[in-house]
Amino acid sequence: MKFLNQFWVFYKKLIIPSAIVSIVIALIGMGNINIIAASGTVFIFITPFFHFIFYDLSNPKEYYFYYNVGLSRWMLWVGTIVFSLIIGGVLALI
Amino acid sequence: MTGLHIDSVIKYFGIKHILNDIFITCEKGEIVGILGRNGSGKSTLMKIIFGSISAENKFVMVGSKPINTLADSADTIRYLPQSGFLPTHVNIRKLISVFCGKQNAQFLFTHELVKPYLDKKSEELSGGQRRILEIVMTIYSDAQYFLLDEPFNGVAPIQVDLIKELIRDQLPNKGFIITDHDYKNILELSTKIVLMKDGSIKLIKNQAELIEFGYLPVGSVISH
Repeated sequence: MKFLNQFWVFYKKLIIPSAIVSIVIALIGMGNINIIAASGTVFIFITPFFHFIFYDLSNPKEYYFYYNVGLSRWMLWVGTIVFSLIIGGVLALI
Repeated sequence: MTGLHIDSVIKYFGIKHILNDIFITCEKGEIVGILGRNGSGKSTLMKIIFGSISAENKFVMVGSKPINTLADSADTIRYLPQSGFLPTHVNIRKLISVFCGKQNAQFLFTHELVKPYLDKKSEELSGGQRRILEIVMTIYSDAQYFLLDEPFNGVAPIQVDLIKELIRDQLPNKGFIITDHDYKNILELSTKIVLMKDGSIKLIKNQAELIEFGYLPVGSVISH
């Protein structure tokens, strides 16, 4: 529970921009197929991209907040990929 | 073995030997001040102790617990980096509740230095306000040992005094390793002073030695 609470602070920065961009890409690129499923598929790939842009590229010093609560960069990357797979995967299967 | 024990730290950047067999200890109730010129390896040493960067060799223990990774240091060592580390997308209240533990968070929610900013995001605060929050959040967290890298940088003198008091108040149960270019405050606050020079640590017994070892210019006023 503690981990989820800490990780949610990290992931919250990614989820809204990733969701918006996923929907836009799905609308533009997928024509008249299932938009929710297409958005989910895009979400799986776009969230790690935003992780890289927002944290590794733009603001790497923010990692120290998470290091201090015991979350390493490796754990945060694994978390992003796993959570994105779960959220995107569930949407893709709808 | 008691306290925070750091031994045999060796670090190279390329062919440059940054840290050469460093040994430091810090007990609860101690404030170890590290002085040294720019590039002497103070921040690198703190990051190695904390576990956020690797070293060619290191031996870090808290009591009988070895500290090799960030996960090992999570409940025992906190590190305040030189530059701001607070996430900008969440309000201060949420950051404190995640960072400080339940009991400390309840205390900080009513603290005069913190209360005015609870519902703001760190990006809405000035650099000095952010720095004070980072320091307060760090020292009021559940760890036992604290590595403070340039804590006074960007903080108004009157608030530097307040921060020094906060650190002293924590002393019986916590230990601090602190570095800052504001050497007068480090000398005043610390219970033990070490100087980093040429990749090694020298224990400083008096301020005259800081001149002798080339940290302070000849003719510096020595006060007690």
